[in-house]
Amino acid sequence: MAALALAGCSGTSSSPSSPAAAGSTITVWADDTHIAALKTVVATFEKANNVTVKLIQKDGAKIVSDFIQQAPTGNGPDVFVTANDGTGNLVQNGVIAPITIPNESDYAKVGIDAVTYNGKTYGMPVSLESVALIQNTALDPTTHDTFDQLLAAGNKLKAAGKVKYPFVVQSGTNGASDPYHLYPLETSFGVPVFGTSSAGGYDSTDLQLGNAQGTKWAAQLAAWGKSGVLNPNYTYDIALNAFTSGQTPYIITGPWSLPKIQAAKIAYSVVKIPSAGGQPSQPFVGVQAFFVNKYSKNSLLANKFAVEYMGSEAAQVAFYKTGQRAPALLSAFQSVSSDKDVTAFGAVSANGAPLPNIPAMNSVWADWGNTEGAIIAGKAANPATAWTTMVGSIKAAIAKG
Amino acid sequence: MTIAPEAPPEPPTERPRRTVLRPTPSLSVILIKIASLGVLDAVVLYALFVLLMGGSYLVFALALIGLIAINVIYFSKRMLPGKYLAPGLVFLLIFQVFVVGYSAYIAFTNFGDGHNGTKADAITGIVANSLSRVPDSPTYAVTVVQGPNGLGLLTTTPSGTVQVGDPKNPLHTITDAQLSGGKAVSAPGYTTLSFQDLLTKQTQVAALVVPISANPNDGAIRTADGSTGFLYKSNLSYDAKADTFTDSSSGAVYRDDGNGEYASSDGKKLSPGWTVVVGFKNFAQAFGDQSIRGPLLSTIVWTFAFAFLSVFLTFAVGLFLAVVFNDPRMRGKKIYRVIMILPYAFPGFLSALVWAGLMNPQFGFINQVLLGGATVPWLTDPTLAKVSILIVNTWLGFPYMFLVCTGALQSIPEEVVEAAKMDGARAWATFRQIKLPLLMVSLAPLLISTFAFNFNNFNVIYLLTGGGPTDVNASINVGSTDILITLVYKVAFATASGRNYGLASAFAILIFIVVATVSVIGFRRTRALEEIN
Amino acid sequence: MSQLPARRPRFRLRKWFAATGWRHVIGIVFAVFCAFPLVYVLSSSLNPNGTLLGSNTLFSKVDFSNYVNLLFNLPQQPFVAWFLNTLVIGLVTGASTVFLGALAAYAFSRMRFAGRRVGLLTLLLVQMFPQLLAVVAIFLLLNAISNIFPAIGLNTQIGLILVYLGGALGVNTYLMYGFFNTVPASLDEAAKIDGAGHARTFFTIILPLVGPILAVVGLLSFISSTSEYVVASVVLTDPTRQTLAVGLYSFISQATSANWTLFSAGAVMAAIPPMALFLYLQKYVISGLTAGAVK
Repeated sequence: MAALALAGCSGTSSSPSSPAAAGSTITVWADDTHIAALKTVVATFEKANNVTVKLIQKDGAKIVSDFIQQAPTGNGPDVFVTANDGTGNLVQNGVIAPITIPNESDYAKVGIDAVTYNGKTYGMPVSLESVALIQNTALDPTTHDTFDQLLAAGNKLKAAGKVKYPFVVQSGTNGASDPYHLYPLETSFGVPVFGTSSAGGYDSTDLQLGNAQGTKWAAQLAAWGKSGVLNPNYTYDIALNAFTSGQTPYIITGPWSLPKIQAAKIAYSVVKIPSAGGQPSQPFVGVQAFFVNKYSKNSLLANKFAVEYMGSEAAQVAFYKTGQRAPALLSAFQSVSSDKDVTAFGAVSANGAPLPNIPAMNSVWADWGNTEGAIIAGKAANPATAWTTMVGSIKAAIAKG
Repeated sequence: MTIAPEAPPEPPTERPRRTVLRPTPSLSVILIKIASLGVLDAVVLYALFVLLMGGSYLVFALALIGLIAINVIYFSKRMLPGKYLAPGLVFLLIFQVFVVGYSAYIAFTNFGDGHNGTKADAITGIVANSLSRVPDSPTYAVTVVQGPNGLGLLTTTPSGTVQVGDPKNPLHTITDAQLSGGKAVSAPGYTTLSFQDLLTKQTQVAALVVPISANPNDGAIRTADGSTGFLYKSNLSYDAKADTFTDSSSGAVYRDDGNGEYASSDGKKLSPGWTVVVGFKNFAQAFGDQSIRGPLLSTIVWTFAFAFLSVFLTFAVGLFLAVVFNDPRMRGKKIYRVIMILPYAFPGFLSALVWAGLMNPQFGFINQVLLGGATVPWLTDPTLAKVSILIVNTWLGFPYMFLVCTGALQSIPEEVVEAAKMDGARAWATFRQIKLPLLMVSLAPLLISTFAFNFNNFNVIYLLTGGGPTDVNASINVGSTDILITLVYKVAFATASGRNYGLASAFAILIFIVVATVSVIGFRRTRALEEIN
Repeated sequence: MSQLPARRPRFRLRKWFAATGWRHVIGIVFAVFCAFPLVYVLSSSLNPNGTLLGSNTLFSKVDFSNYVNLLFNLPQQPFVAWFLNTLVIGLVTGASTVFLGALAAYAFSRMRFAGRRVGLLTLLLVQMFPQLLAVVAIFLLLNAISNIFPAIGLNTQIGLILVYLGGALGVNTYLMYGFFNTVPASLDEAAKIDGAGHARTFFTIILPLVGPILAVVGLLSFISSTSEYVVASVVLTDPTRQTLAVGLYSFISQATSANWTLFSAGAVMAAIPPMALFLYLQKYVISGLTAGAVK
């Protein structure tokens, strides 16, 4: 028995996982939309530096939470790619290291802003994604300057019996609205969610939902709910199905819906969302970015990989090819200009607002969606009061931390 | 199943020990026993050795006790129950009891987002976050060199100035460096490190800080990738002796405030913090939190109602169907039985999402097709939402009860039922007075477990209604279908600072106490039931 | 199939209805109740361009390309590997749970020892701890195990099975315990007098008699371990090692890239093993009845 135990010991002490070999391998986590492109890009990195890159495919929705859990144990990857809205959470957990991008102006400003937290850059942005207006050009070929014009055109088509719904945008589930999809309309009323701080980036103490325009937006929601423009029962499936079956000329949605729209053989164009309240309509822009593990024992390689290689035109074009998102590197965006959908979505994204990356945003979504949903459904006796109540409870939740 | 007629099922009672010949196990059995225990001992001894080397004394002690206990149990001629219980208990102790114990420990810490690691990690994190690149400073091409004072940097500015320095000697301009493509690659007196050399020294290179002048406030060059460097300044300096951070621009001093973070006198905190034991703070918060206390009563009532009715409905439907399909004359039972477990065989969250779609007030199948265009607000009316949740949870849960009841029905000897039939008892009476009590003896504990499961059935609530509908006129994000566990989720996980595992664990313990108490009461009554038989 | 041949050869509707006909009516009603939400899943799995719930027009298109893609065309999402992993994990967990649970149930049912009652109760109570954050502790535990024995730690299927076996005692033991109690103690007494040891009595006398409950517990354990998501997603990180529950969920976890039709096809195929297993085990579950009738 003792001999067995000793054999077990000596067996592992001579195992190959000695630190000398570990220096030349880095581990990268990526979701299914990046992994295929990474495989091609990684080869050049491995060859140029005589190192090995271990790619691990992860469920995109779990990358941030798993990373926060695993990084402090020393088992996290050296580099990973995820959406920018987790940046603040990653920073407050001390699991990612700031990076320095030599020329930030080479990248879309919204991309850099999206990965900036407390004035420091934490990620290498690779692609931008946001919603836009998709219009059935067989039903309505004209581009509208204001949302009212669009609605008028939609109502005319409905009156003529050509469509069932003048316009659709998806709601959330369980009677809540989908504030993410409504955001461009809301910003056109001058009601962003947060103000910006002096260091750049959103300021969690400046909740702009509560500004003077907020109640005007609430009243507009109630009016649209009453006239049927907005409907809390349009889930994503129902809204998209209305568009792909030609029952509506307009939908606010993102590039992820394009495959189904193309499969339904709908003639469409992607345009910016017309302003409803007079100010520019700004959708939220989600930015995919590469981050470096603060606990990485290969920080040199990790930084080289994230900044030099993932920031390169070759890598960003490769990501575009498999993910159909607009590259964040301006020269890469130029080089894919033959793709009119990505160009159109990219143009909308470039003028959008970065998806908030501050943890305080956690306290906003649920209340925001529930209250908007109730206002649209006509359940709030007084939309302005409901809106003010919501602002108060969100502020209290943020203050509590 | 063959049942000896002379032996009706008897409840476990103390039986007098009969003296019987103790059979001597064969040699092969003994050998197998010794061999398998030997392998186990070898493996655990190795683990013990690693644990001791790693300094995990508590775990070492627990593992050692476990190992000794197992050997005693299996080599002793007594302790028969132990021999049968030990295999399962080992797993139970490691993967359930330990997990519960660890969660209980977390309840007394501030573990969660922002307090995720050790203090040492937090300090390096704060230092890293405090560095900022000096605006408009150039990008330096750098070469890592080995000099008389250890590692240093050989830098080239875009304008061609070549400098060299190390942590102790600020950068100074040199003219005799060798250039390659406009970048200084080596200098006399220094050895240039190849890229492969750098890879073996990554941590040291990343920590290399070369000041640009004798004045530390001018900043220092660092390189993150070994080939380009930038000029950074830090606005925070750490004093290891005093354990404080000082902000060089404002002069504010940040100290360890005992809550796992550095805070200044005016309450500003540095991020990240670290995990510390906070005592009963989480419990105090759990009891004191207004967002919990306000809706607490109605939530508790609904949680109990939901859990109880879920058990009742699933059991009633499952048992009913098990009895209906338990007739030997019936054809096609196999097919029916397989269809009955369909809801159990599909992923639960998929089914819940499908049900949510079916119950869409305007477009859902139920309203549009079954009810011919009605607009019943299945999930958005406070009362109806509760009914809908129970319907869906019954759909999700009855196959389990159906399976269990089908199995348990087999334990009822036909003779007992036949005897009752011969006495002229009608079907319902036979069932009510004979079958049901017999079934309840073995199934009651299961019902209690199911109650406990549904008490914490987060998924079905979260996926169907998210706890809603909420009252928008109340300034609180608690809905009419929220049960305790979804409320806890909202309070402890969806906060402005992320997930608070410490608070969630404290709630988990409180809920555990409630459920366990209710269950123990339930068991008492079951025992009474058992004694009746 | 039917054990008792009808006494009268002439078919009489009333009599048939009173005997088994009403059972069929109930069977059909509940079959519809069980199946109709899942018809949506089947319909969307056959329509590559459709949505899960966008329309109430079912089966507007019947096309097997989702199934073909899942099985052959997605190297990044190795469905076949997930399927096999799930089968292995489910069968090993199910069989081991039955074994460990039956051992314990035998001890509780046939032996008298201090703390027996409390022990039984504790088994159930331990499992009532809210699982909301048990995963944090499970992750740290397996991480620690990985540092000593990488082969049974994180990202190994054995590690996952070990965690599942932590739940082997508990409800299952109680279920078996109740059933064991219905087996007359006189049988083991007789065996003892014949000179059989406790192990032989257990394996050759008791186990064959409690077949139905072993089959039920095995099936329950198989289904719960194959459909378990939270722990599996923490333990298994490498896509080729994941289970169906974890792998399939990654198709729809992100709203912007959710592929419900592919997911539905996967769910339909994932439902086959539990149903096949049940179909196979039914004869053991029901064996009590037939054996009794034959006798």
